[in-house]
Amino acid sequence: MDILIYGTINSVALALYALGFALVYGISRLPNFAHGALYVLSGFITWSALNTLKLNYLLSIALAMAATALIGSVIYRLFLIRVRGMEISEIIASYAIGLAILEGLRWGGFKGMTYTLPPFIEGSLIIAGISVDYQRLAVIVIGSALVAALWLFTHHTRIGLALRGMAQDERAALMLGIDSDVMAVVAMGIGSMLAAFAAILLLPLGNIVVESGYNVLILAIAVCIVGGLGSWIGAVLAAFLIGFAQILTVVYLGSHFQMVVALLAIILTLILKPSGLFGQQKELEERV
Amino acid sequence: MSTEGRQQRRERIDRGIKVRTAGIYALMSWREMAYLLAPRLLLIVGLLVLPLVMPGMYWKRVISIVCIYALLALSFDFLAHFVGLVSLGGAFFVGVGGYLSAVLNTKLGLPPLICVPSAALTGGVICTLLLLPCLPLRGVYFAIVTLMYPLFLARVIEALDILGGTDGIMGIDSFPNPRLEQYFVIAAVLVFLFGLRRLVNTDLGLVLRAVKDNDQAVKASAMNITRYKALAVFIASSIGCLAGACLVHIYMWAGISTFALDFSVLPIAATVIGGSGTLVGPVIGCLILVPVSELLRDFGTLRIVFYSLILLAFIVFRSEGLMIYGQRKYHQMERWKVI
Amino acid sequence: MKTRGLCSVFLLLTVCLIFIPPVQAAQPIVLGCPLATAFLYGWDAERGFTLAVEEINAAGGVSVGSEKRPFKMEVIDTRDLEPGVPVSEALLAVEKLILDKKADFILGGPVRSEAALAAMPLLSKYKKVSILTTGALTPKYNDMVAEQYDKFKYCFRIHGEAKNLVGEIFANFNELKQKYGFNNLFIMAQDVSHARGAAELVKKLATDKGWNVTGLEIYPTGATDFSMGLLKAKDSKTQIINIWMDMPESSILLKQWFDMKVPALPFGSTLAAAEQPGFWKATDGKGEYTLCNVVNAGNAPSNATPWTMKFYDAYAKRWGVEPEGLGSSSSYMAVYVLKDAIERAGSLDSDKVVAALEKTDIMGVYGRLRFDPKGHQVIPSTDPKEGAVGSILQWQAGKRVVVYPKSIATGEIKLPPWMQK
Repeated sequence: MDILIYGTINSVALALYALGFALVYGISRLPNFAHGALYVLSGFITWSALNTLKLNYLLSIALAMAATALIGSVIYRLFLIRVRGMEISEIIASYAIGLAILEGLRWGGFKGMTYTLPPFIEGSLIIAGISVDYQRLAVIVIGSALVAALWLFTHHTRIGLALRGMAQDERAALMLGIDSDVMAVVAMGIGSMLAAFAAILLLPLGNIVVESGYNVLILAIAVCIVGGLGSWIGAVLAAFLIGFAQILTVVYLGSHFQMVVALLAIILTLILKPSGLFGQQKELEERV
Repeated sequence: MSTEGRQQRRERIDRGIKVRTAGIYALMSWREMAYLLAPRLLLIVGLLVLPLVMPGMYWKRVISIVCIYALLALSFDFLAHFVGLVSLGGAFFVGVGGYLSAVLNTKLGLPPLICVPSAALTGGVICTLLLLPCLPLRGVYFAIVTLMYPLFLARVIEALDILGGTDGIMGIDSFPNPRLEQYFVIAAVLVFLFGLRRLVNTDLGLVLRAVKDNDQAVKASAMNITRYKALAVFIASSIGCLAGACLVHIYMWAGISTFALDFSVLPIAATVIGGSGTLVGPVIGCLILVPVSELLRDFGTLRIVFYSLILLAFIVFRSEGLMIYGQRKYHQMERWKVI
Repeated sequence: MKTRGLCSVFLLLTVCLIFIPPVQAAQPIVLGCPLATAFLYGWDAERGFTLAVEEINAAGGVSVGSEKRPFKMEVIDTRDLEPGVPVSEALLAVEKLILDKKADFILGGPVRSEAALAAMPLLSKYKKVSILTTGALTPKYNDMVAEQYDKFKYCFRIHGEAKNLVGEIFANFNELKQKYGFNNLFIMAQDVSHARGAAELVKKLATDKGWNVTGLEIYPTGATDFSMGLLKAKDSKTQIINIWMDMPESSILLKQWFDMKVPALPFGSTLAAAEQPGFWKATDGKGEYTLCNVVNAGNAPSNATPWTMKFYDAYAKRWGVEPEGLGSSSSYMAVYVLKDAIERAGSLDSDKVVAALEKTDIMGVYGRLRFDPKGHQVIPSTDPKEGAVGSILQWQAGKRVVVYPKSIATGEIKLPPWMQK
């Protein structure tokens, strides 16, 4: 039972990390290696708003999400749009930006382990004999709500449908009058906002450190590859797969294989089914 | 564009001397030969003389590190631009080569001059075997697998506590003689640089470049693509493992951090800055990046910020790199031509 | 084009920088400090050094023979505590300090154990005296000095190492056993060499002394989920959880411990998150009852020697925050110990200073400081008059209260309310 509960929590956390990355890749085929940096940045913005500007918690959260979305869009519009289409250049450019942001934060004094965000609700609950704290339950509830909201957004609003159209076939979308540049900027903004969302939900569980940016990036990539780059359902399912695999490893094998599991999952996926579980890029499976 | 009623356009053509040095005509006069030889001689002589010119032992050490990164950058450029396989895993080669050489030296007691080449070749074989399943795949997947391998291996060594675990392997012999230590890596860089340049102009090189351009055509010519790709990966990974083995002997120590991401990232940055596609570009890139990075050490963490901003600037605004720009200027000239 | 101009200016600047010779003053004694300044175990040492150097220079400096010379600190960031950074960076930093900045002595780092071990051959090659003051807890360091004395005699360490910490922890465990009848022990360690080695040692000693070890979990650096481990501890009625983690994710563990109300005392060693004064605020008080071993007295308030509170208050005044990590007091003392050794040796010659250091015997911030002549490790003790005293503190009501050793304790170990029957 405890495996079920904590497995779900771990999986939802992984899904939250990966959603932003999956969205941006799915829509504009841009592997956003600055994802981890945006995650950490939004955490520090919330902290600064809360502690330096002494704002209300909800207001700080809103400010951080808006600021991160804006920063993401600006990064795209100024830099990444120029290397659009050249995969390796995109990876290197976004990685360089991520690195600059993370090390810039470190230089700016955000070092050490005393930066934390308060959880939304204090206290814990006993479910079937296992004690779970409210923040983790909030992660599950809000995380699922987010996935549902995202689904609704992309299926029932104009912008969402435009984004989906671009993901399916860019040329056709262009012919229908959807401006792919603008949509790509919007996608990047939403992706960054999702990174901020993940940060706000998950950072109160621990503290905000710059190093977690690198870890988040690797986990997001792992989940997206296993689920299939470009497929959102795949990302969520892969998150559950890897999340439960990690928890089961900890319980039955030994906790120090946790990180190996994620990396092993990537290598196995690439060898056995390269396009991932639900990948739509079947041409990647083509072996020469 | 017109001035005084005349139409003009800007034209870029080969210099006269470049045209005169095509083929056997290069032997026509000393001037032509000098035109061809000067850049190459400058590089060779420059690299050989650099350790003598540099003030202090610290900068000599920096030159060794530059050469190691240069070897890694060479292997990256070769794979990426002549075979079409983008390898984000310089760290993978360095780690495998380093650990192999360390084990050969400490467990079998072989002297460094035997360990290093054997580690390079054995490492090449191991890396190729490990990468074999991913070779037939297309697209960005090879890149991601090579990126993940060093992280994976590092975690495995950490988890299983083999090969010294998190402590690392200590007590590795260094080269018998500091001059040898210095010039071994420089010689390796020069040999492999010019060797690879020769290689890409042979028949084998032609096939490899064809694999990059259009692999279906190569397949249609009844050639086994995987075999050629494997051969290319073997060459590149041997060079990388050589770099790792040298590193381990220079510092007399090997550990998990030989799989550090830094070894993957810096060669790529050097290639981008130096000019991808020309094998010389990455070497020049390393020559610039590593000393600048050392000079900026006084700035602390800001150094990484500068370095990533420079990388960003180059890749977004001037992605051809310095060497290609330099070559263009050297071989071609621009002028206004009246229409 | 603008970018072209920018590039050429940049290249010109680089060329100029290469050829400007480094400006050096012949007078000051240069202390090279390779530290990971972006991390607690790096900046605590940096601050300790700066405080000591300022005090010594203000008092006139160090007497070398007949002249008085000031100390000068050169800090280089080695970044060696970052996961993706190769140890060769740290080694290059040490070499830069020795060859380029002409450091006379190396103090402080490298901080990571594997980097410190890797730096030993370098130090012996250049014959530079080095005193480790923070981070590096592996017992292998002084073992190697003892094994190859002539090669590694230049290496000293002035803060306690992992084996001392294990001994101190066990003294406390025994006390808790006698007082409350605890018998179940759960061990959680980070996957780095000193933590893993210490955890195995604790397990072995505990089983020998009759403790029931309910589990030993090793967590890789960067693991964010400890729920299963905590649940296992709770189910097996564990009473003490021994934590060996200096990664930031340990605060996730401690917060979860509080939320789950696990009836076990979190007893940490080098639990970096809990050493800092800002820990209380950072966890909103959930960190209460956490115990951690700060390795040397002076990092938490106590009266080990008359110098302890003097140092404590001076640090708090200079930096606006109380001493933070395990390296603060040891770094401060290292400078004074070095000054003392130089003055007795009468010169800066490495071999003479090594001989003088071996004869060190001064009353410092955390007790009587002497080095073991074979391993060059500072001699520990539970009595400040005999040797270097460690400190174990517990967070009680927002304050760090020293609970061990008894000779300097200002309080007793308290149990969280849900553990008291």
